[in-house]
Amino acid sequence: MAEGGANEDFRTMLARMERDGHLRRVKKSIRPEHITALCGKAPAAIMCEAVAGYDIPVVGGLYWTRPRTASALGWREGELGARFAAGVSRPIAPETVNTGACQEIVITGDDVDLTVLPIPFMHERDGAPYISAGVAFANDPQLGPNAGCYRLMFRTQREMGIDLFTASDLRRYYQAALDKNKPLPVAVAIGVHVFEHMAAAYKAPAGLNEMHIAGGLRGEPLWMVRGKTVDVMVPANAEIVLEGELLPNGWTADEGPFGEFAGMQGDLKYNPLFRVTAITHRKNPIFYALQMPWENDWLNGPATEAACARILGLAGIQVAAVRATEGGCCGWSIVAAIKKRAGEGKNAVAALLSLPVVKQVIVTDDDINIYNSDEVEWAVTFRCQADKDIVILSGMKGKHVDPSVRPWDLGPGELPTTSKFGIDATIPEGIPAFRYERIVPAFQAGIRAEDYL
Amino acid sequence: MPEADARLVTEILGLLRQPVFFRDVLLAARDQPYRAILHAWSEIRSHHALARDELGRYWLEKQ
Repeated sequence: MAEGGANEDFRTMLARMERDGHLRRVKKSIRPEHITALCGKAPAAIMCEAVAGYDIPVVGGLYWTRPRTASALGWREGELGARFAAGVSRPIAPETVNTGACQEIVITGDDVDLTVLPIPFMHERDGAPYISAGVAFANDPQLGPNAGCYRLMFRTQREMGIDLFTASDLRRYYQAALDKNKPLPVAVAIGVHVFEHMAAAYKAPAGLNEMHIAGGLRGEPLWMVRGKTVDVMVPANAEIVLEGELLPNGWTADEGPFGEFAGMQGDLKYNPLFRVTAITHRKNPIFYALQMPWENDWLNGPATEAACARILGLAGIQVAAVRATEGGCCGWSIVAAIKKRAGEGKNAVAALLSLPVVKQVIVTDDDINIYNSDEVEWAVTFRCQADKDIVILSGMKGKHVDPSVRPWDLGPGELPTTSKFGIDATIPEGIPAFRYERIVPAFQAGIRAEDYL
Repeated sequence: MPEADARLVTEILGLLRQPVFFRDVLLAARDQPYRAILHAWSEIRSHHALARDELGRYWLEKQ
């Protein structure tokens, strides 16, 4: 169970991050459109307590790095993938409660005005201010409740554009409603605990409620409460909830561009509209502005590492450690350390490259600390022969977001393909391990630097 | 619900006679409270048709 007792909430998580040195408070007044720049320059996540013109503080940069993400989760840095996999393997159904802190204040009808929230303008080429940390909740008569992460662009005091461009469960729910020319009731929670945010970001199979996975990550049921104006359940301890409906306008409203998860400015898109019928929030709420791309990437990083460990296990390979690297947006680039038997370096490369998003892989032996880039580079340098140990696979499934696949050349509905590569940086077969014996300073164990420096 | 500042709406409408990024709107109105800019933007999006180009710039569509 996470520190903080039953149903640790967003602000308890923030308190831990602050104690760990991963969150700092900013007392000086700041305009909303300057917050993202400050987050990018700050050495820790920040809580802007004096946002000019607002009485709601803004927090950002929470999951910017592996250490910050680990602090938010209350897990050790090296166990993110394993702990995530364990949570997914034992889902726990949410518990319905009658009242929730997220409904301490309820604003409905003509009083609904999205500008009460300090929705920040984030990137130079964004189309407007964005809610980047929204977790959307919806129901489907057949498939049941669903949660997912969707960005929302400010349009008017009651309407936002929502990005439903790519395939998702919410898109499927919306399409079903659109086919009947009916709106789809939706609630968007802002400021949920990382367990709920990470579960919502996870690509769970349709019909599996992501909040059951959140329960698995928590080790206890998540408390959920019914919306005030929509028949949708939301996390009871969320900071802010927007209730409303996706209008049956289809993919017609301009939305974007927005700085996307791969670190590049995205395209202008045409998307549905979200009309807000109620704003509910805690007393003294905190607005969470998720910072792209790293926070978005780290929400997926543990799931990617879990998937890598799983597929290596299916290939019969003993995994020592798996790391989804930041440079690869915590999904596209993987470094794995294995306890190798003959041939398994390349088996591991092939297995990892079969995962849809993974595009480049380095596999090392388990004596390499894969969290140290210098050690990984050392292994590549001295354990790899380029003509034998680099594997290139062509014509594999690609992603539109990757400009190197030239997505603009594709026809309507055509999917991109990509080439991928992997480096087998394990000790080559036939070379005895002693050839790689590391130098060890004499009497290393007995010498303490602090005794001399 | 608070009403938009008519002068600010007019100022932004003037800016939208040519293609501009949203950033340009914020920059032009930087002496105004952020929330007032969003109110004005809400007013404009509710009552005026805005064209977009592939870069994401806005301008007033000819009526």
